[in-house]
Amino acid sequence: MTRGERRAAALATLLWSVATIGVAWHALHGIDHAARSREALARAHALQGRAPSPAFPMHLDVRELSALQQDERPLIVHDPDGSELVTAPVKDADDWEIIGAVGLYSRWREMAISTALPSFAALLVAIGLMVGVRAVRTVGPRVAAVGAGALFGAAAAATTLQLRDAVVALAPRAAAPPALERLALAPPSLAFTGLLLALLAVSGALAVATIHWHAAQAERPARVRETLGAWSFIAPSLAHLLVFTIAPVGFLLWISVHDWDLLSSDRPFVGLAHFREIAHDPLFWRALRNGLVYALYVPVTMVAALGAALVLDQPLRGIKLLRVVVFLPYVASTVAVALVWQWLLHRDFGLLNAALATLHLPRVDWLGNPATALPALMLVSAWGQLGYMMVVYLAGLQAIPQSLIEAARLDGADAWQRFRLVVWPMLRPVSTYLLLTGIIWSFHGFTLVYVMTEGGPAHATDVLVYRIYQTAWEFRRFDVAAAMSVVLCGLLLVLTALQWRTVKGEAADA
Amino acid sequence: MADLALAHLVKRFAGGVVGVDDVTLTVGEGAFTALVGPSGCGKTTILRLVAGLEEPTSGTVQIGGRDVTWLPPRERDVAMVFQNYALYPHLTVRENIAFPLAVRRMAGAELSRRVTNAAELLEIGALLDRKPAQLSGGQRQRAALARAIVREPACFLFDEPLSNLDAQVRAQTRAELVALHRRLGATILYVTHDQVEAMTMAQTVAVMARGRLLQEGAPLRLYRDPASLAVARFLGSPSINTVAGRTTGARFEGALACEARVAACADAVLGVRPEHLVLGPAMDAAPAQVTLVEPLGPESLVRLRLRSGEELVARVAGEAACCAGDAVGVRVAAGTGLFFRAADGTRLA
Ligand SMILES: Nc1ncnc2c1ncn2[C@@H]1O[C@H](COP(=O)(O)OP(=O)(O)OP(=O)(O)O)[C@@H](O)[C@H]1O
Ligand SMILES: [Mg+2]
Repeated sequence: MTRGERRAAALATLLWSVATIGVAWHALHGIDHAARSREALARAHALQGRAPSPAFPMHLDVRELSALQQDERPLIVHDPDGSELVTAPVKDADDWEIIGAVGLYSRWREMAISTALPSFAALLVAIGLMVGVRAVRTVGPRVAAVGAGALFGAAAAATTLQLRDAVVALAPRAAAPPALERLALAPPSLAFTGLLLALLAVSGALAVATIHWHAAQAERPARVRETLGAWSFIAPSLAHLLVFTIAPVGFLLWISVHDWDLLSSDRPFVGLAHFREIAHDPLFWRALRNGLVYALYVPVTMVAALGAALVLDQPLRGIKLLRVVVFLPYVASTVAVALVWQWLLHRDFGLLNAALATLHLPRVDWLGNPATALPALMLVSAWGQLGYMMVVYLAGLQAIPQSLIEAARLDGADAWQRFRLVVWPMLRPVSTYLLLTGIIWSFHGFTLVYVMTEGGPAHATDVLVYRIYQTAWEFRRFDVAAAMSVVLCGLLLVLTALQWRTVKGEAADA
Repeated sequence: MADLALAHLVKRFAGGVVGVDDVTLTVGEGAFTALVGPSGCGKTTILRLVAGLEEPTSGTVQIGGRDVTWLPPRERDVAMVFQNYALYPHLTVRENIAFPLAVRRMAGAELSRRVTNAAELLEIGALLDRKPAQLSGGQRQRAALARAIVREPACFLFDEPLSNLDAQVRAQTRAELVALHRRLGATILYVTHDQVEAMTMAQTVAVMARGRLLQEGAPLRLYRDPASLAVARFLGSPSINTVAGRTTGARFEGALACEARVAACADAVLGVRPEHLVLGPAMDAAPAQVTLVEPLGPESLVRLRLRSGEELVARVAGEAACCAGDAVGVRVAAGTGLFFRAADGTRLA
């Protein structure tokens, strides 16, 4: 396979995915209720006064028919199989009695065509791809192409069949008025169609990928086998990632651009309205600023942790026990830590204030005072993270070859120079790692705020995650909360990208 | 430059391991002394004691007549080239070489002049802006060397600096190091367990075993006149042949018999270098079978087995006249046998 052919394969896959997504979008959103209502009403009026047919084509249950009788407006009703239709009553010539109804289903035939078309287009591309492969001697790639084609065809045919079947099953029988016959295009069930579309999308991608693989295998068998092995190894975690990370993020993005709440089933698209709303929300900015200030505890703790690690790196008696003691807070449950610190910082009974009192200093309401609440939270976070950072630094210190330190000693470096010129630069990857992951984690910080201050006093400790939580679960504004989450997500993505870049840079250095 | 003197140096590690046991050794000003011995005999420990990276249990270290035993490394004015070179990975070659000067607060023209000089001396001027990871083994070794010479120390310590290089680069670097030594007139203590390195480079070789200094002297003197079986065995490749036996009167009797100018009657070991075994029929030749002939070009190694089972190696000039399976006679060239006491390996004559 040449590079151009490979590119064509990739393009085909892309086209295929885009087309399928388009179809799915069309299936879910292409229903214009107003237009359909007008159409249904026009059809009903055209039929006005005709003799009712004995075998009326609609599968409406009694309740729905009675609803029809009371109201002349077109109604959106649901079929027993779950599909949606617009109905309009057909009355007798006197415009008095309802003698039937016109039902208008979605325009599924177009959908069927638009589903089948990209399928065959992709199939054509795939076949063209195979014909273009001159250097392929073995039969493998050809078999793969045929197999892929069959897969494609089967998936496409299944979709089309499903759509046509549905038309036949729900079409008016012999005695129905001819006008109705053409109108009543029966839809398949939405869920099933969606499933088929998904299958189609996956099979399309798989087909092209298979062709690609097989062609490449003729060239470099070992590499393909390796690739195959690698993919099979990461498949489980990939699936996990898809289901529990990618899918929720996709859902989050969807919610953030729709009006979405638990009670209403109508969830119209609103574009960036929620983002505009949070941009004008002073509390959101407050939370963002608090988050940035809060994140400052990370570098401060790092300095302390490095100091501790340098001390605990010495071969002293009892040093191992001390290491464990410093590490312990990190293992402790955050809620428990929060509760203990709540008590330590308590205005009336807290240990800290008791200590202040013995020094004849005024008592401070650490968590109740807007000026001290956030610093107090930062103190607790620092206390909890110190052990972890210390252990990471300790590992970093012990990874520095002893001979480098000795070389520096021989080269005449004193202790401070050894630290500044050798130890610190060699710890740089560790430091960047701690800083970036620390900041990322600080933006996730929720438990402490939730347990100790609930964002208060006066929003002094209101951080982004807490804001999101409150917006979603207390104010029930899931869509706005989703928009905030998207912003947070973007922020963290930038940080993560930064971390990746530095990690890569360091790897190139070493 | 200065001389280096170790006196009764002892290093006992925690746990009772004796790394260095009463070593007294002097490296004269501008001399090149090689410290050789089998693995684990305490060579590195001696270097570390000299460098100040370890504290001795007892004994003293003097550099240029100054007692430095309890001084920290940076006040001793010694440079050490580590086996793994210990270049700072985050610094460029230039910064590595400049490091000893920079920590002494040297800067500007003087610093760059000395860095450039050192780099040019070692022919790594073109590599100055690379990181150590981007260098080959030989280039790293040169960079480490440049870092050592740039500050013009009182003496140099080398810890098997060539052991990470391939054979060809090693041979070349050997010659370059000798030339460098001549040019700098540096005092060098050079640790190796490669006896070829020691014999070809050093003016003085000191042989160690199990923490003790066995013998020191000019390389050829040690080769010809070893004080003990251990020294004899360590120098020379292939190793010296040994045959157990007994000295009586003026003869040595064993699987090989020869004259021995030893008065005492004692259980003894005859040591004979491969080049001192003579093949061919003779009156006092011992019968042996050729097990393998290894032609090396200008000479050949002939491996033999005596009737009594002892294995010997003979070195003969040019191509060997025999081949595997042949029966030959073997004897010791007159006056070349070395005799050691069987009990403790000390030299009889
Ligand atoms: N820090 C230490 N603690 C305890 N024993 C040690 C320590 N360092 C070295 N030793 C021991 O001291 C002895 C001498 O070690 P040394 O490193 O000097 O050997 P060496 O001659 O350099 O060997 P090699 O040729 O393998 O490098 C060895 O038996 C070693 O196990
Ligand atoms: Mg060693």
